[in-house]
Amino acid sequence: MKTITITPLKAFEISVEAENISPDKLAPLTLSQIRSLEIWQGNRKRKLSDLFRAEGDDDPAKAEDVTITLRGDFSRVKRIGEGMTAGRVEVEGSVGMHAGNNMKGGLLSVRGDAEDWLGREMRGGRITVGGNAGNYVGAGYRGEKCGMRGGEIEVGGSAGNYLGEHLCGGSIHVHGDAGDFPGAANQGGTIFIGGSTYLPGAEMTKGTITVKGKARILPGYQKIETVAMDGEDWQKYAGDLVENGKGELFVRVGSSL
Amino acid sequence: MIVEDAICSFCGCLCDDINVEVEESKIKRVKHACRLGSSKILGHSRIKAPMIRRDGELMEVSYQEAYDRAAEILLHAQKPLLYGWASTVCEAQKKGILLAEEVGGVLDSTATVCHGPSVIGIEEKGLPGATLGQVKNRADTIVFWGCNPAEAHPRHSLRYSSNVCGRFTPEGREGRKIIVVDVRETRTSKNADETVIIQPGTDYEVISALRMLVVGKGDVVPDEVGGVPKAELDGLAKMLLAARFGTVFFGLGITHSRGRYKNIDNALSLVAELNSHTKFVIMPMRGHYNVGGIGQALAWSSGFPMSVDFTRNAPYFNPGETAACDLLAKADTDAALIIAADAASNFPRAAVKALAKIPVIQIDPYENPTTLIAEVVIPSAIAGIEVAGTAYRMDGLALRMRKLVDTSYPSDEEILSHILESVRRMRAGEGA
Amino acid sequence: MIIKGGIVYDPANDVFGEEMDLCVNEGRIVEDAKGEEIDARGLLVMPGGVDAHSHIAGTKVNTGRIMRPDDARLGIEPRSGVCRPSTGYTVPNCYAMGYRYARMGYTTVFEAATPIIEARHTHEELEEIPILDKGALTLFGNNWEVMECVRDKDISKLAAYVAWGLRSARGYGVKIVNPGGGEAWGFGSNVKSLNDPVPSFDVTPAEIIAGLARANEMLHLPHSIHLHFNNLGKPGNYTTALETLELLKDIKPGRMRQVVHVAHMQFSAYGGTSWRDFESKAPVIADYFNSHNHATMDLGQLLFGSATTMTADAPLEYGNARLTHNKWSNHDIELEESSGVVPMVYFRKMLVNAVQWAIGLELALLTRDPWKVLMTTDHPNGSPFINYPEVIALLMSKPKRDAEMATLHEQLPKRTSLGGIERELDWTQIAIMTRAAPARILGLEDKGHLGPGADADISIYNLRPEEVDPSQDHVLVKKALAAAKYTIKSGIVVSQEGQILATPEGKTFWVDAGVPQADMDRLMVDLQEKFEKYYSVRLSNYAVQDAYVPNPKVIRAGIKVEPMKEVA
Repeated sequence: MKTITITPLKAFEISVEAENISPDKLAPLTLSQIRSLEIWQGNRKRKLSDLFRAEGDDDPAKAEDVTITLRGDFSRVKRIGEGMTAGRVEVEGSVGMHAGNNMKGGLLSVRGDAEDWLGREMRGGRITVGGNAGNYVGAGYRGEKCGMRGGEIEVGGSAGNYLGEHLCGGSIHVHGDAGDFPGAANQGGTIFIGGSTYLPGAEMTKGTITVKGKARILPGYQKIETVAMDGEDWQKYAGDLVENGKGELFVRVGSSL
Repeated sequence: MIVEDAICSFCGCLCDDINVEVEESKIKRVKHACRLGSSKILGHSRIKAPMIRRDGELMEVSYQEAYDRAAEILLHAQKPLLYGWASTVCEAQKKGILLAEEVGGVLDSTATVCHGPSVIGIEEKGLPGATLGQVKNRADTIVFWGCNPAEAHPRHSLRYSSNVCGRFTPEGREGRKIIVVDVRETRTSKNADETVIIQPGTDYEVISALRMLVVGKGDVVPDEVGGVPKAELDGLAKMLLAARFGTVFFGLGITHSRGRYKNIDNALSLVAELNSHTKFVIMPMRGHYNVGGIGQALAWSSGFPMSVDFTRNAPYFNPGETAACDLLAKADTDAALIIAADAASNFPRAAVKALAKIPVIQIDPYENPTTLIAEVVIPSAIAGIEVAGTAYRMDGLALRMRKLVDTSYPSDEEILSHILESVRRMRAGEGA
Repeated sequence: MIIKGGIVYDPANDVFGEEMDLCVNEGRIVEDAKGEEIDARGLLVMPGGVDAHSHIAGTKVNTGRIMRPDDARLGIEPRSGVCRPSTGYTVPNCYAMGYRYARMGYTTVFEAATPIIEARHTHEELEEIPILDKGALTLFGNNWEVMECVRDKDISKLAAYVAWGLRSARGYGVKIVNPGGGEAWGFGSNVKSLNDPVPSFDVTPAEIIAGLARANEMLHLPHSIHLHFNNLGKPGNYTTALETLELLKDIKPGRMRQVVHVAHMQFSAYGGTSWRDFESKAPVIADYFNSHNHATMDLGQLLFGSATTMTADAPLEYGNARLTHNKWSNHDIELEESSGVVPMVYFRKMLVNAVQWAIGLELALLTRDPWKVLMTTDHPNGSPFINYPEVIALLMSKPKRDAEMATLHEQLPKRTSLGGIERELDWTQIAIMTRAAPARILGLEDKGHLGPGADADISIYNLRPEEVDPSQDHVLVKKALAAAKYTIKSGIVVSQEGQILATPEGKTFWVDAGVPQADMDRLMVDLQEKFEKYYSVRLSNYAVQDAYVPNPKVIRAGIKVEPMKEVA
């Protein structure tokens, strides 16, 4: 087990891009090498030690044996855990945009809130957020047909707009509300929303969206039947028929607008 | 002296039939332009000299001092924003892109408060469009959705759309069906054959309903969508299908209401579907006369049409993160160059507040609310009137703006070149 | 500058792999020179590459960029040294176009299709492309004035319009795409055959093609008509190709060259009646080219992976989009043309794509005379130009073709004769197909060869042709061609071992053709009317102004026979 703890040296004004803070990148490095890693702040290329304090184990290890603890305010630090394939990243507070971008494996856990684009284009692994997440959780990149293809994201609080846009695989579980247009243009995967949402599954062609709270339903969704699941009744819809979609939408009975 | 076929530098119509009477290097009279264009061309009082704010007051300085101060601000900044661009010519825009690359900043245009969502929609679905002359010669059905050209693009209907006669449309207005979709009656809807009033924020659902109706899946559609009875929507769908050549023009009513880029995305799909049944095109009603130009120039230079972050020496595009309003909303920019646009008037309040906290360089012929928060003010020649150059019309057509009168003011392109020179000189001096 | 000891392939001057020195002075090849010496001993040396058909600049290309941020984010190279940032794979930004072609040893590239009214945009982009010399072909095949002149059998007025159009667009030659179909698309339909009348215009595609060919030859234009056939991309369309070629065989060329250059022949060499029985008709097409001398072709080779289709064949693009459920851009251009842009991916295991891949190679290998065949991928329709080395390696190596075929759909051998073709092209033939022939076909006298007076555009590769067997060492061939050891443009070393060292501005070729004033006067009557009634812009704002072509290279042509000459 190789543990590294990273703490910001000060509050950041201009956001910081830290795609080098990931178990795969840190695993083979000594502390000294870690401190020399390239970190960008705006147009200034910096060393990690210019902006952060890094402490922990010096010896090289495999990514799966690495735990990175991020302590302090990381809400303006972007791209944490980008592309990671194994290991753990534990954020004690909040984390900035693009946390877990392109993640392929391992665990990213955020105790506080996560900014926009959490787990963008995720392929595998698991992300958990204790607080709220921003817009575009588990979404894709502009113009791409497929965004997230695998892995699991769980948000304890609420999520913003465009949750899981272009989802092709994997699962997203939000305990609270989700904003507008969750599951837009989806081709697979599952989304669960514990609270309420607005116009879910726009242009979905495949996949499953389940909403426990209220949901405003699109005109392209056809009521199919009520089903019982987990001791509750759910209205099942098929859609989005504007795209001849074969997706499934479940909304708890007594909830829909 | 009368200059014929001058091109108006106000809105995205880029009317090129304007006659301008010039006497002793001053514009005396403007013919054929609408009142918005006339007013722009006739001009008004402008900034006399460059200024730098010292102890809260703007003091006149030389151009070189202003260039040097601007360069200092840009070099010092970790993430400068270079914003605006929509009311100047491409020659200046190209220089601005080079400047953004070299100082490592973020470049964005007024599309961010206008048709940025349309661009994002196009990135999802493409743009099934045409030049305005196709609409003139062929369109027998025109839909104005969330826009009010009677007030924002006054000559649009007589030059390009509702009222114009063309080869296959010899009857002009008589031979056309004009449909307005909006949240209230407007001056444009007063001259429409059909007006469909929808509840605010329901554009997306109404478009989805139309998509269902157009492919014959009407029985799934609820009895009312967006406050509109299904029968009325069905009637609208039938009108669209009956078109020989249909056009949808759309504006801020749909780009900035709930749904934003999803609304455009959906409208683009509706038009693509209609092309399986008949002929249909769609076009955004661009506001500023050359917002099209910065989109084109930025795309051919960087691969992306707006909101490009050059801070890491390579273009990065992610509206929602790299757009001007995004940066300001998150206080993630530490200096701004505002050129050929009035940020303080058009940005959301919170963004203007953030702008007021950072050093601002303004390049503009005219004073406007942005001047109040600027640290450096550089008056420029008026592009399209005092400076020739390229502009792109709302349908993507490039035209060359004429120079109508002489001026002693430097052009935007010259100003940017000088700032770039100062940047390079200062950087070399630092031994970089 | 002296390039010493290279193994030079300069087929236009009958040099087929001779060891010789090349001398350069003031941007041209000369007999003798002093100065910087470049050691090219034993290395492959050819004239700089000439690409006669590529989509590199203008509305279509930029639309491709705007709608594909997913493509732009690939191939990102940060700015460094003399280079601005590069982005994009199938739709690179302007700077990447210049750098990437130059790295491969290409020095001249022509934009395949420009509508006259949008030529200003094309030239803005061409000016942003560093290093390369360039030109743009101008679209005429769906133009109202053209169709009316053809209908009225007024070839003199048609010639006047072509001259006027080329001047207004600062264009190089006459491009024709799906003639008549683009106009029919104005109301959502298409033309189905050469004899299908164009709605509202009382002409057929056959008449448009023949009319423009005659006007082209009357004007003694350096290039012939450059033709994208009707029915492109449809199973069974090879019959349209043959019919069209037959149509033109008796037209006398006004210069020592072909009467018609066929664009991306691969897309029009299809047999079968549907996608299910789709098969190659390349042998039949190649036979035709082998027994006739009035036509040339470029391949339009398809390669597996990403592409962006962009063409003035708008109905085809709509079809592509519906078939693949893809995003779709369309742009109809008043009185002149239509166009469409659709992203595409070609798959090894899709039988249709595998057959298409085979067809391009068959065409090159079965056509005996390499002077009739240009190696292209119709960038970015078949594949981005950055993959040219892959195509060349395939043409030179049967083992490579066999290895590739083994990975494709197993039904492929039933639909194409490629498996049985033993022929492997050699460096002479490659030099012809990528340098000498495109220059000759386009009518560029100082390009594509290394004789005295030619532009000093030279490519030197890390490959010893006397030691390497391209058939076995195809991996080496592909690697060497991907990054020239030296690319020299107008006597300046612009690229070395894949690094761009200099970014001089290139020249833009365009053709200024003269016609009798009387015909021009008659034409202007028509045009005044069209601008008054139908165009959405004024005549005085229409033509491309000098400001957009700051480095012109004007070729004179016209009704009176004149020796082809360049005017500064």
